[in-house]
Amino acid sequence: MKTTKKYWKGLAQLNNDPIVENLAQNEFVEQLPVDEFLGDQENLSSTSSSRRDFLKFLGFSTAAATLAACETPIVKSIPYLVKPDEIIPGVANYYASTIYDGRDYASVLVKTREGRPIKIENNATYSNSRVQASVLSLYDSARLKHPLKDSKETNWRTVDLEIKEKLEAVNDGKIALLTSTIISPSTENLIKDFSKKYNNVEHVMLDSTPYDGVLNANMDSFGIRLAPTYSFDKANVIVSFGADFLANWMENEYATDYVKGRNPKSGRMSKHYQIETNLSLSGANADNRMQIKPSEQGFLISSLYDGIQGKTFDKRLSSIVKVLQSNLSKSIVISNSNDKNVQLIINAINQKLGNYNSTISINKPTNLKQGNANKLDNLLSDMKAGNIGAIITYNVNPSYSLAKATEFNEALKNVKLKISTSLYNDETASLMDYVCPDHHNLESWGDANPKYGKYSLMQPTISPLFNTRQFQESLLVWTSRSDYFSYLKEFWINKGVNWNKSLHDGFFDLKENKLKLKRFVDQSQSIKSKKSNTIELEIYETIALGDGCQSNNPWLQELPDPITRACWDNYLTISATTAKELGLSNWNVSNGALNGSLVDITADNLVIRDVPVMISPGQALSTVGMAVGYGRTKAGKAGNNVGFNAFPFLNTKSVTITKVEGKYEFASIQLHHTMMGRDIVKETTLAEYIKDPSSGNHRETYATYKGKLPSDQVSLYEEHDLETGHFWNLSIDLSSCIGCGECVISCQAENNVPVVGKEEVRKSRDMHWMRIDRYFSSDMTKELSKKEKLSAIDMFSEMEDPSEKPEVVFQPVMCQHCNHAPCETVCPVAATTHSNEGLNQMTYNRCVGTRYCANNCPYKVRRFNWFQYSDNDKFDFNMNDDYGKMVLNPDVVVRSRGVIEKCSMCIQKIQELKLNAKKSGQPIKDADAQTACASSCSTNAIVFGDSNNKDSEVWRLRNDERAYDLLDHLNVKPSVFYQTKIRNKA
Amino acid sequence: MHKESEIRDPLILGNKTYHDITRDIARPVEGKANKYWWILFGLSAMLFLWGVACIAYTIGTGIGVWGSNKTVNWAWDITNFVWWIGIGHAGTLISAVLLLFRQKWRMGINRSAEAMTIFAVVQAALFPLIHMGRPWLAYWVFPIPNQYGSLWVNFNSPLLWDVFAISTYFSVSVVFWYIGLIPDFAMIRDRMSSTISPMKKRLYTILSFGWSGRAKHWQRFEEVSLVLAGLATPLVFSVHSIVSMDFATSVIPGWHTTIFPPYFVLGALFSGFAMVETLLIIMRKVVNMEAYITIKHIEYMNVIILFTGSLVGTAYITELFMAWYSGVEFEQYAFLNRATGPYWWAYLSMMSCNVMIPQLYWIRKIRTSFIATFILSIFVNIGMWFERFVIIVTSLHRDFLPSAWTMFSPTFVDAGIFLGTIGFFFTLFLLYSRTFPVVAQAELKTILKSSGSEFKTRSHE
Repeated sequence: MKTTKKYWKGLAQLNNDPIVENLAQNEFVEQLPVDEFLGDQENLSSTSSSRRDFLKFLGFSTAAATLAACETPIVKSIPYLVKPDEIIPGVANYYASTIYDGRDYASVLVKTREGRPIKIENNATYSNSRVQASVLSLYDSARLKHPLKDSKETNWRTVDLEIKEKLEAVNDGKIALLTSTIISPSTENLIKDFSKKYNNVEHVMLDSTPYDGVLNANMDSFGIRLAPTYSFDKANVIVSFGADFLANWMENEYATDYVKGRNPKSGRMSKHYQIETNLSLSGANADNRMQIKPSEQGFLISSLYDGIQGKTFDKRLSSIVKVLQSNLSKSIVISNSNDKNVQLIINAINQKLGNYNSTISINKPTNLKQGNANKLDNLLSDMKAGNIGAIITYNVNPSYSLAKATEFNEALKNVKLKISTSLYNDETASLMDYVCPDHHNLESWGDANPKYGKYSLMQPTISPLFNTRQFQESLLVWTSRSDYFSYLKEFWINKGVNWNKSLHDGFFDLKENKLKLKRFVDQSQSIKSKKSNTIELEIYETIALGDGCQSNNPWLQELPDPITRACWDNYLTISATTAKELGLSNWNVSNGALNGSLVDITADNLVIRDVPVMISPGQALSTVGMAVGYGRTKAGKAGNNVGFNAFPFLNTKSVTITKVEGKYEFASIQLHHTMMGRDIVKETTLAEYIKDPSSGNHRETYATYKGKLPSDQVSLYEEHDLETGHFWNLSIDLSSCIGCGECVISCQAENNVPVVGKEEVRKSRDMHWMRIDRYFSSDMTKELSKKEKLSAIDMFSEMEDPSEKPEVVFQPVMCQHCNHAPCETVCPVAATTHSNEGLNQMTYNRCVGTRYCANNCPYKVRRFNWFQYSDNDKFDFNMNDDYGKMVLNPDVVVRSRGVIEKCSMCIQKIQELKLNAKKSGQPIKDADAQTACASSCSTNAIVFGDSNNKDSEVWRLRNDERAYDLLDHLNVKPSVFYQTKIRNKA
Repeated sequence: MHKESEIRDPLILGNKTYHDITRDIARPVEGKANKYWWILFGLSAMLFLWGVACIAYTIGTGIGVWGSNKTVNWAWDITNFVWWIGIGHAGTLISAVLLLFRQKWRMGINRSAEAMTIFAVVQAALFPLIHMGRPWLAYWVFPIPNQYGSLWVNFNSPLLWDVFAISTYFSVSVVFWYIGLIPDFAMIRDRMSSTISPMKKRLYTILSFGWSGRAKHWQRFEEVSLVLAGLATPLVFSVHSIVSMDFATSVIPGWHTTIFPPYFVLGALFSGFAMVETLLIIMRKVVNMEAYITIKHIEYMNVIILFTGSLVGTAYITELFMAWYSGVEFEQYAFLNRATGPYWWAYLSMMSCNVMIPQLYWIRKIRTSFIATFILSIFVNIGMWFERFVIIVTSLHRDFLPSAWTMFSPTFVDAGIFLGTIGFFFTLFLLYSRTFPVVAQAELKTILKSSGSEFKTRSHE
């Protein structure tokens, strides 16, 4: 309704009298009587306030104003008027829930303190660093705080009214629902309901890294478009062609099984072959690794199939063929290829080897990957043709993560109604008419069916921080219903699920009908070898950022890549030889920081300019690798413009690289890559281990008057009494550690470790309390140098260069809690002292910051607060943000500038454990003793416990033949010890 | 039979009488400063102020404004600290040890050498203070009875030993210096006119403690000097031994070395004498002391530099030998890395400035040249700074676990603070040269060959 009403202040305004205009121009209607006032000398001189009085008033008012401004900052702390029964201040509550963001799935326990989720613990499944870090993404102040209409703030009423109206008006085209893979049965049902109401709905699922090859091949082979589940623990032989199954391939759970199948104690250890281009995390853990160009993969897989069929095959595969044939039905062969034909050969190989129903279960498939590229292509052409009347996106960011993002953006213009349900006003959402922001997982209700028969539930652990609404709730509202919680509960109760118990546990199993599968028929076609002379590209995901949906999470940005050890960046990985051919290099500047050359990458009509080059050992010759997940432009202040976007190159095979002028500054946490012939990571082979369990675990001995004694039996000092009470120990199994970095994030979350940013990491001032050292083998060894009669100088300088075909080891290092601690003796103010439970303690309040302890630490695990990292605009990360600070663990103090900090072995958890045991009058259970790193470790490589408890796992490990102290010749008697690494190689 | 011993070179030139000496020594205090003094003072004061600004910036922002990092936690701060402490060694050696050995030549230079000691220790003491993350809590390193509960300092820590060693050394040096100054202050007091400059007169009256030059005063003066010399002598050796224990008691390869105490003391004397030379060669020009600080003094000091320099060289080689002989791979690598690693240039500077260049003093012509000595003394100062840099930074930057290896690069703040202390040092020294009797004239007069020499010169006429 248009209104013509006019309001007026007076008749003059109504009549448009010019006086109104004149008055509006003059601030003062009358002249100020300044002259009159100052001119009246008589009056001025007779006034009672003198010049001195004036100054007094001036002085008083200035002082008063200044004092009034000096108010202590007000921190609002509002007590509960009525305290909820379940909340006791200081006591954590745990809720079982589920994390699923369209890519990573985990069944988790959420630790909440006073109503705030502060930590993710594992529940039915193991998680990864991104899941661990998602608790910080909850408190991301870059999240949308209200619905948007045309990028402007609006309210849900308006949005709902208009969307419903417009959705109903769509009649000349389809309504497209573009989502991530949906694993929620209730959401699937909801989408069905939604489709029923608007009967022209097209649901398209999209995985940021496509798995169409696997899915389509299974469709052809078995008649289901799903991926199988793999039991890596049951396999004796694992052959992976490029599939980084320990990090990002398909699911997050393989690592646990993989390590279960590699237990030297039981004498059974799978043999892992990795044939790949980039050095992946899986490749780094493989027993044998072969470097190939991506274009060779198809041929090699085909040749392997020939080999196991007894035909002639490529000689490089001879040992693999042999070992596969002798381990029938006890192997797994996988490939990361997105080519259906290649995956058909893989299926044929596994079928031929009898792996189905043994190590690979296609009849119990996983639901985590269901994206469909064909459907997406159809959607794109429909959009272009104007056949799509409305589009709703959920959990995806196609404008960023599609290889054809520009095409998508162009086609999006033809869609009349565009709705995003993103948490952020991201690359896609910012192109939409409406953004109906979804809740974060930790604010949502939900369910998940990650794989056949396995279910888990999601429950909110905090009331929504912002004016957001769950996607499912939006769907319900748009189908004129409401309340997703009731819907969900009813949905499961109708299926006969014990709702309360399942919600409490977080997961449940359901008996399901057996899947109807097609009989397997070999449909593979062999692939011929073809030579390529171009530089080939292999795209990968980093373990920190994955597909980049949590780009704005500073914890993940600062989590160093396990292989390159660089953070806050992506780059082009390249082998040293290829780099040399192209005139590219990496070099260290005067403070040690790493710099690299820049290149332009071109392929077809794509180009990325000024891409930094990272020389990576283990990269196949004439190939390059690039990580997706970076180069976001609308992620938020931490994620924007970090690195470059590699998604446009997703389907690109070969590229041209041209060197350009300039240099790039990396932030690398580790600048030196080899062990320099030192006995840091002790390792042996399985065969040696079976002969002698202590093989490779050589102890340093000292010559004494009693003869040669191992270092720990020679001491000048009095021993701490470690027999009475507890003796907290941490065992780290270097054979089990795959280097994934989950523990680093877990530690960061538990212990309020600050994020320092790229510049400070570049200055070697990262603050992580634990790090995962990665060492490459070098072509130069002490033995070789002796043989070649090299001088020590030459030997060491050659040792600095990692091999181009390196063996890789990972070693988590945190404070070793020495019982003869070098740091403790040197502190002038006794700020770091020893506990009678074997811990090295740091008293922040007492620390004056001489840093002598950090210098004298042989493991260099002590971290100094070079600046004030909290509430400092120079470090504008989560600790400088009112929302971001909500993730802080109230049990751990936030350290101030000028003090040293370090791993405390989660003393706050130990204390809680002891207090609980005291209250309950029960001795501490071994399983309850956990540090953040140990509890989050997917592969159980880190074991924590009380060594004075002879029933504890850690006591057993302490006395294992594989146990050794890092740098044992120093005889600092650490409470942390390592288990030798065992490789299953000849 | 009349036997006359060989004539030693005179330590005071220019046929000075007692009165000449008094006049010469009092002139800088009574007169006006010359152009050189003002130029030098202006420069030093500017550097000093810049240093103050850099220190304020550090304390206000955090140690992060320096170039240090998680591996190299100490760099220029402690390098400068040890360098300054080392420089502070020559003064006490000259005044105490040479007094005990009856070396008369020390009298021309001991006052200034000791002033230098005190000013150098002031610079040195700054660094432990400002290198702290929370310098406002620096008093916690003193064993002050407190009400914080059972908090006490850690007597195991060499840093605490440092606190005691340096404060003891500083106080004994100040007292020793001051005792020597009393007769000279009295001399200036007596020359001051109470009408022309009453304030100054009052000041020097207070400073001279009522010295009247009675025989009893002289006797006590001599006794106290001897006692203090006896007390100060072990301190010369103890202070730097204890400073060296900051490193020697640690576990870091390249630090963990038993020869550090004597090695550091020798290095300290070496650098101390070099700095004395640098200063005195400037000072004798600026305040016209050419007659009292002669080439003979310089030559004696050059001999000491040659001697200590050679010993320091021996220590360097011993370190290398021990690294090889120990068979410890970490130790071996640490020293190989010093000489051939990324900081080879620092090691080379140290070796050439400290070991090779002082060998030029074997040549008499160089040993007895003011200009050559001045240049060489600068080299030694630089070399000794690099020695500490090499010990601290190159040992830390590559220690046990290669994963933590990194490098160090100073920032403008690091440089600013270092230059600031040089400015502060020279500011103090220049102020001293205008207000204090820069030569111990009372003592010096005891070696003026008055009667005999004068008789001889007169008889030759």
